[in-house]
Amino acid sequence: MRRLLALVLLVQALHLGLANAAAKNLVLVVTDPYVEMHSGPGRGFPVVYVIGRDELLTVLYSRTDWFKVRGPHGDEGWVRRADLARTLLESGEPAPIPPYPEFASHRWELGAGYGVYNRENLVTAYGDYALTNSLDVELAIQQAFGTIDNRYIASLGMRHTFIPEWKWFSPTAGIGAAYQYIQDKVPPAPLQKSNEMAYVSLGARGFITRRFMWRVDWRHYVVFNDLNVYEDLEEWKFGLAVFF
Amino acid sequence: MEIRLSCILLAAALLSGCGWFHRGNKAPPEVVAEEPQGEPSIVEPQVPRRVVKTPHIKAKDFELGGYYGALSIQDFGTNPLYGVRAAYHVSEDIFLEGFLARSKAGTTSLEDVFPNITVLSDSGRHFTYYDLDVGYNILPGEIFLGRGRAFNSALYVTVGMGDVKFADKDQFALNFGVGERLLITDWLAIHVDVRDHIFETSLTGRTKNVDNIEATLGLTVFY
Repeated sequence: MRRLLALVLLVQALHLGLANAAAKNLVLVVTDPYVEMHSGPGRGFPVVYVIGRDELLTVLYSRTDWFKVRGPHGDEGWVRRADLARTLLESGEPAPIPPYPEFASHRWELGAGYGVYNRENLVTAYGDYALTNSLDVELAIQQAFGTIDNRYIASLGMRHTFIPEWKWFSPTAGIGAAYQYIQDKVPPAPLQKSNEMAYVSLGARGFITRRFMWRVDWRHYVVFNDLNVYEDLEEWKFGLAVFF
Repeated sequence: MEIRLSCILLAAALLSGCGWFHRGNKAPPEVVAEEPQGEPSIVEPQVPRRVVKTPHIKAKDFELGGYYGALSIQDFGTNPLYGVRAAYHVSEDIFLEGFLARSKAGTTSLEDVFPNITVLSDSGRHFTYYDLDVGYNILPGEIFLGRGRAFNSALYVTVGMGDVKFADKDQFALNFGVGERLLITDWLAIHVDVRDHIFETSLTGRTKNVDNIEATLGLTVFY
């Protein structure tokens, strides 16, 4: 009898737990004549279910522009962002489907690209935080592959976007500080293994689609060395980035 | 009797003295409630506002996993390869992916024929690479297993670049690949990939571009 009681209590607790878990998902009311549920998160996947007007759907999670939802009869499928954005909360307010970040006023940017640094192939990865719509802080980690040495470059700088409202092409300029570490491939070893540097940059950026953008950057580095010689380096690079 | 009278008088004097001391102080201004002008005031309801917290929709755009397979290192035979991969899906078509993997080269034909000759040291035989790629799902679709089961899948192509460390040297390498992603569930995927890592080397005498083709099987988790 006790075991039975314990079992009943356990089942009830589980049921409560499940009910709470279900309550954490967003529930929306369909306002269009119907909403199509596809079998996969892509435009070509077939429509497998349809949810009618005034019926409820539960949003489980999203992948890119598609949302996995559960219909009123427990059927699951993928609904596109644009369709879900036209639904309402049960309270009658618009569904809180996050819009795409505005390109002109985005805050974060993560990207990678190819370049030429001191006539060597360059792989670059960077992160960028926008303080305002036109002023960014940029951190870049780069590796240059030369015939006699490899260089690792880290840089931190500020960049100004001249006309952030120009979506497809907007010029930029920046300044910053950098550090390079030189790893020799063939002898003789470099006289200085590491240097601090300063740079100025000119470039451009543009929107591609949704959260995708491109960047082109030219940089002129001045190398601080102890060798009593003036040393400067040039860099070109092209990158693709995702913005948030 | 006299004592009682004097006590009363003393008390009266003290009280009047107090009044004297207080004479200089201004009386506190009387607070007169202002009469509401025009319409009578409306009673503000003291009902606490109910805060409705809208549940957050979890985005599962990241993919993380590992892979294992064979890498054919040009001139150095085919050898086991293992690595990790991480991807971010930007849209239903485009994704960005990073790879980090390691293999170990075998012996060249020359070393097989003449066992006394050693082309590379033991540490130089390690083939380690990282790649930063962009991928495109060219053929998304479904794969049917029997009558009642369908799995989402995509044939994709990738192109990217990175670093190959081989013979104790880092080389800039381009890579081109094609792969198939099969989703067992919405969060678990199997990958079959073929990718070519191309870089310039002069390890065997003359400078040339070498193709290092890998075929791998991977398992990833979306989160």
